[in-house]
Amino acid sequence: MSKILEVKNLQFSYEKETPVIKDVSFDVEEGSYVCLIGHNGSGKSTLAKILAGLLSDWEGSVKVFGLEVNRDNIREIRSKLGLVFQNPDNQFVGSTVRDDMAFGLENRRIPTEEMDGIINKYAGEAGMIQFLDSSPENLSGGQKQRVAIAGILAINPDLIIYDEATSMLDPSGKKDILSLTLKLKEENPRLTVFSITHDVEEAWRADKVIVFNHGEIVLEGTPTEVFSHTKELQEIRLEAPFIISLINALRKQGIDIPDSIKTEEELEDFLCR
Amino acid sequence: MASFALGKYIPYKTPIHRMDPRVKVLGMIFLMVAVFFSYSTFSMTFSVMGAIALFIIVIMIISKTSFLKLLRSLKSLWFMIIFLLIIYVVVPKNDVTEMHVAFAIKGYNFYWESFLDAARILLRLVLMIGLSMVLTATTSPLDLTYALEWYMTPLKVIGFPAHIIAMTISLALRFIPTILEDVNRIMKAQTSRGVDFEHGGFGKKIKAIISLIIPLFVSAFIRSDELANAMECRGYDPNGKRTKYRKMHFKWSDALALVVVAAILGGCIYMKVINFDLFNILLGEGAVL
Repeated sequence: MSKILEVKNLQFSYEKETPVIKDVSFDVEEGSYVCLIGHNGSGKSTLAKILAGLLSDWEGSVKVFGLEVNRDNIREIRSKLGLVFQNPDNQFVGSTVRDDMAFGLENRRIPTEEMDGIINKYAGEAGMIQFLDSSPENLSGGQKQRVAIAGILAINPDLIIYDEATSMLDPSGKKDILSLTLKLKEENPRLTVFSITHDVEEAWRADKVIVFNHGEIVLEGTPTEVFSHTKELQEIRLEAPFIISLINALRKQGIDIPDSIKTEEELEDFLCR
Repeated sequence: MASFALGKYIPYKTPIHRMDPRVKVLGMIFLMVAVFFSYSTFSMTFSVMGAIALFIIVIMIISKTSFLKLLRSLKSLWFMIIFLLIIYVVVPKNDVTEMHVAFAIKGYNFYWESFLDAARILLRLVLMIGLSMVLTATTSPLDLTYALEWYMTPLKVIGFPAHIIAMTISLALRFIPTILEDVNRIMKAQTSRGVDFEHGGFGKKIKAIISLIIPLFVSAFIRSDELANAMECRGYDPNGKRTKYRKMHFKWSDALALVVVAAILGGCIYMKVINFDLFNILLGEGAVL
């Protein structure tokens, strides 16, 4: 499997004395779902901006799709990359869902005749087909994020980066976006999702979790591995998802629960069997 | 006042709504120019303007533009109307050769012509407001932007960034509701902290407004920064080539509408140039109305 993201010895600071990112290295494999979790101010969003080429003057090497992120390559990288930002309003460019999805297509010079077909297809995939002519003020935060995702799907991306895409949403909106992401991953195994978040419930569903604190990687591994380090997580004020605490407590009671169980529903099924 | 300045788009599905926005813009300009002509006699001027007024009324009925709104928008102009009336009636005229005294107060003559002149200006104003109301009520702001962009395209040759300006306007339109939401939220937040927006003297009100404006600006700048990032990520290049999702279609009906309006303007210019006087021909030489 090829590497979609390769970050080596990355360092970055807005002001010289206070580094935001200190010597960070990690890889993201093609087709995986990787969550980077950490608290506010841990440098997570800065990392997202670096990956999308929105910042400059960092030290170290950042490669996306095997291409070094720089002025010459950024157009090519962005043509296969989509970024979903935190604030649903501030990334909604068009006056309706339809126009917003078309914005990305216009930028990529897709012929007008093909646009409607593409828009209908991906709005359907993101579950927004009945809202195509709605304007942003009539949509909920979760729906706006769905539109942002639909707009990215329309350009047929290889990599989607979430920059705290669900942190401004209510719990049902969060669940909604997570299940949409998992559905998309299932339909297209080549799609890579790199999600920057502080939602541990989301991280629990990922293939790989990277824990970030004060600009450094603290833990890295599968969700089961990472969330077994309860102590280290508590030190940086991250709490393991409820389902893990539940499974651990049950195991202590002598109930053998397999690692494949990921959701509360699955656990319920297992216990009732 | 904002609603008066811009007018509000009302999304009906009338033939006027379906017209090419470029034709609507040009048609409105043509009719506005036509309204501005005055002819050798008042009777001629008023009958031509009346005919155009009739035409505009028909358009308003077809496009379901409300007459009530037109009247309401005049209400906010009452001061200007009274001012115009006074100016026209009180200030004596030299350019009109024949003047007819209507009445005199203490030796000062008031002339019929002055009143007619004021009425003419008033009618012009009403017709122009009516026209722009039809345009804004039947054309979405975005379509209007596209139309203006199309007209500015030739200026690209001299480096005028028509497409960038159009994008800026459409973004501004898109963010009006969002910023208004911000205003409401900040006002509530400040009210809960004890700021009083409704009472107090001028100085206090200014202070209250500042407590609204500064956070509003901060939020707007954050929004625009994030928006710029999002647009860049989505591949927007202001100077790059882009395709267009919404294309404007010039239809046969648009051509017909343009011909009709152009004919009205052409007719007005022709009548003006040859000093055409219908009443002179009908009633014979020297008839005075």
